Amino acid sequence: MYKRYHIETSLVELSTTKIGKFEIIRNDYCLNCGQCMTHCIYDVHKRASDDPRLMSDPVNHLCKNCFSCIQNCPYHALEMVKNKEFEKLGNTYWTPQIIHTIWNEAEEGKIPVFGAGYRGRFRGRGFDDIWTDMSEIVRPTRDGIHGREYIATSVDLGRKLPWISDFRRLDLPNTHEIKIPMLFDTSPLGISSRGIILPIIRAAHKLGTFAFLGIENYFAELKPYLKSIALRCSLDKITQIDQFPWKEVNFIEIVIPRKFSISELELALKKLKSENRTALISLGLSDFSLSTGIFKQLKEARAAILNFYADNEGQSFEGDIFICDSIRKLQLALVKERMRGEVTILAKGGIAAAEHVPKIIICGADAAVLDLSLLVAAGCRVCKVCKMDDCPAELAKLDPETTEQRIINMIGAWRDQLLEILSAMGIRDVRRLRGEKGRAMFYEEIERESFEFIFKENGSFK
Amino acid sequence: MKSVEIKICNSRFHKNIGKYTVSLSDSCFHCGLCVELCPYCVFERKDGFNHVSTPNSAGCLGPECKEGPYYCTTKCPVDAIKIELDPQWKTLGDFRWTPDLLITTWQQAETGEIPSGNLEYKIGASGGGFDSFDFTVDGLTAISSEEIDNIISSDKISTSICLNRRAEGASIEIPVPWYGAGMSFGSISLPSMLARAHSAKAWKTFTSTGEGGYPDELIPYGNHVITQIATGLFGVSEETIKRTPIIEFKYAQGAKPGLGGHLLGDKNTPSVAEMREAVPWNSLFSPFPFHSVYSVEDHKKHIDWVKTINPDALISVKVSTPSDVDMVAVGSYYAGANIIHLDGGYGGTGAAPEIAKKNIAMPIEYAITKVHKFLVEEGVREEIVLLASGGIRTAFDIAKSIALGADGAIIGTSDLVALGCVRCGNCESGRGCPRGIATTDPELEKQIDYLWGAQRIINLYASWQKQLKLLLYKLGLKDIKELRGRTDFLRHIDEK
Repeated sequence: MYKRYHIETSLVELSTTKIGKFEIIRNDYCLNCGQCMTHCIYDVHKRASDDPRLMSDPVNHLCKNCFSCIQNCPYHALEMVKNKEFEKLGNTYWTPQIIHTIWNEAEEGKIPVFGAGYRGRFRGRGFDDIWTDMSEIVRPTRDGIHGREYIATSVDLGRKLPWISDFRRLDLPNTHEIKIPMLFDTSPLGISSRGIILPIIRAAHKLGTFAFLGIENYFAELKPYLKSIALRCSLDKITQIDQFPWKEVNFIEIVIPRKFSISELELALKKLKSENRTALISLGLSDFSLSTGIFKQLKEARAAILNFYADNEGQSFEGDIFICDSIRKLQLALVKERMRGEVTILAKGGIAAAEHVPKIIICGADAAVLDLSLLVAAGCRVCKVCKMDDCPAELAKLDPETTEQRIINMIGAWRDQLLEILSAMGIRDVRRLRGEKGRAMFYEEIERESFEFIFKENGSFK
Repeated sequence: MKSVEIKICNSRFHKNIGKYTVSLSDSCFHCGLCVELCPYCVFERKDGFNHVSTPNSAGCLGPECKEGPYYCTTKCPVDAIKIELDPQWKTLGDFRWTPDLLITTWQQAETGEIPSGNLEYKIGASGGGFDSFDFTVDGLTAISSEEIDNIISSDKISTSICLNRRAEGASIEIPVPWYGAGMSFGSISLPSMLARAHSAKAWKTFTSTGEGGYPDELIPYGNHVITQIATGLFGVSEETIKRTPIIEFKYAQGAKPGLGGHLLGDKNTPSVAEMREAVPWNSLFSPFPFHSVYSVEDHKKHIDWVKTINPDALISVKVSTPSDVDMVAVGSYYAGANIIHLDGGYGGTGAAPEIAKKNIAMPIEYAITKVHKFLVEEGVREEIVLLASGGIRTAFDIAKSIALGADGAIIGTSDLVALGCVRCGNCESGRGCPRGIATTDPELEKQIDYLWGAQRIINLYASWQKQLKLLLYKLGLKDIKELRGRTDFLRHIDEK
């Protein structure tokens, strides 16, 4: 029977992610009159259970910043300040707000819906310089979330034949459909804790996608999930791969080091292809300076999938280029070589929010690879220095089932948000979004287009 | 405007929030000198009391006062007064609605006067769009206060706009270049709706019903209430269409373009559901788009349909801002619309997915320019009224929209801020707004007395009109209509 793809979410709360944005300070001169309790509709203020004459300390993480208690306090005894714990989360890219949003998505599995208009900056760097389009007059596309038409979020990984040249020697196209344009990566921050790896791989298994795993991190409990593992091995260590069950996996990634020879790569590919005919083979690149001939070599090596790595902030390892621009360049280069249709592009690094997935697809990727965001879903605070034995989120001690469900919740919320973006555009298949630059507005272009003629004559356009 | 009466209308809270906090130390012996000194009523000694009351910090201008004759801190004989930056200040507002903007809007709603302190009341801190440019002249400096009074009170500078520029149809003029945006019964409370309608009537402008039906309580304000027909058709009937001078087709909303309205189940109380002819406590998601409109021809059919029911009404078409918004605008013109209402991506809402507010469709600043330019090129600009909404917070945002090419603006969130909104963003679920503005909870909505609220909005509008008149005077213009498209009056803020 036909079954519509659906992600089952359920509420999973964690005590370590209960960090409110604000802190309410009750001054000594509070009269304990209880007016704050009357005016708060979020149960922040309560009387002390042991002595009902007194007010207990405010439950800060429930506070929603409405100022009702503060402004209705007859004695001006309450004050609100920013919560320092909250401000300390993450860094300039993984902002406290981004982390907080992922936590909520991982907890509830729902699209974040709030009242009042947008509150952020007009624009920002990277992903925040892109707006996605919508269509005023479209066929109805609002899908599953509200029970109307279906929007497909499946994408195909692997090599598609550009045309058939010889029917007698017809190679079956080796592609694999994943149900969401998102793959997982177990390597963020170099953490090799099994307590994190297992739930990520199980979540990938349940959701019908792949999770990347370095061969050095493989352990026996992962055996039941081999079909959902993308085994990753560096080209210079390819001889070690025989120690692992690589012949049973569906997906192998070869990490291309900075210096390598094409014959070495061809040899490795030949070996992998001869003994595991069905596996998808991807090449992991951190340098996209494809003009230097490597591109042609990749073409000769018949790479089916390119996985472009950026760092956790989305910056490329070589040169200071944001992942959107790297992917746009890669996409263009492939189009120029007339091989875009044959190659799958994956983008890893800096995918930190639901909107980054459609945006990176618009830039030219087929699918996004999530890494640090999975850890954040588990409760990670993206500390400046990561110490597993002294982790404030107790990541090493987490119950794998809880983590798995939190990751599934986050992906459920992200997929639903992807559907929102697609439905607003009137697109019913995420495959059609790939490289659709026309369905996005880029800050620099639109600012110039709109304001150049205004400010040019005043000499004020920057 | 002689019919508009400005009255002082204080906040409804015990404590107001300001930028500074003023405290009296223990050494204070309550001599009362500060009470005499401070013209901003920070200090008060209640009748029959020996002690000076806890200072009303919100009125304090802070160190700006230092040069003036009233500076309390140095005059206090025992140095008991301390003025500090309120740490609470930082918790208020956001990049678009900065703490300064919120507080100055509240001040304007209280007094109806242009804010006098050092708080920024013209511009936000979002770093782009309206916040990245200003007028080549400052609207206020270097005019004597007498002159200012003259300009404000005289009728020599006009701020009125006409809402129908076609040869046929009713001619409706509003004295200020803005009217109220659609906010439905369900997203906001009935007292909030009444406050908006009452102020719209006082100012002879309009407010819109939004998507949730037309409550009977609004009928006395009928000449100033726009009936909105949105994709869900909630509460729309022939009767409500006949009642109104302007009919607004809402194709999309800037905060959630391409998605249709959201009313989460918690707020769909029995009274809201009855008005919407829906089942109580069920979430209501309007469809997108109008299922009867899949082309501009269908759109024309739609307009013909309401024109058959109410031949005298003007037609407004509310659309959000996709990259082809210029085509949509021209299409609407040819279909017979009188007003094109562009709702930009950063606009207000009672409930919308965060991803949609931030990412889908372009900000209004770009759309105004694009559509205005295109309509001019098509040669139809003089026959259609172009109104902008979605992130227009202040009088200066309105003026900037007009300078970019709009005829006027449509205001939503600012009305609510006048009623005391802090933009905490919790209107979407639970009992709704804890401050009683955007709620359907029968207990919470009692916090707003609609006549109080109406006066607050009337005052805010009065202050805005004064600002516009002064700005026009400074620019050497006599009529707001002359400002339209005058981008030469704008400059990038970095270039100051």
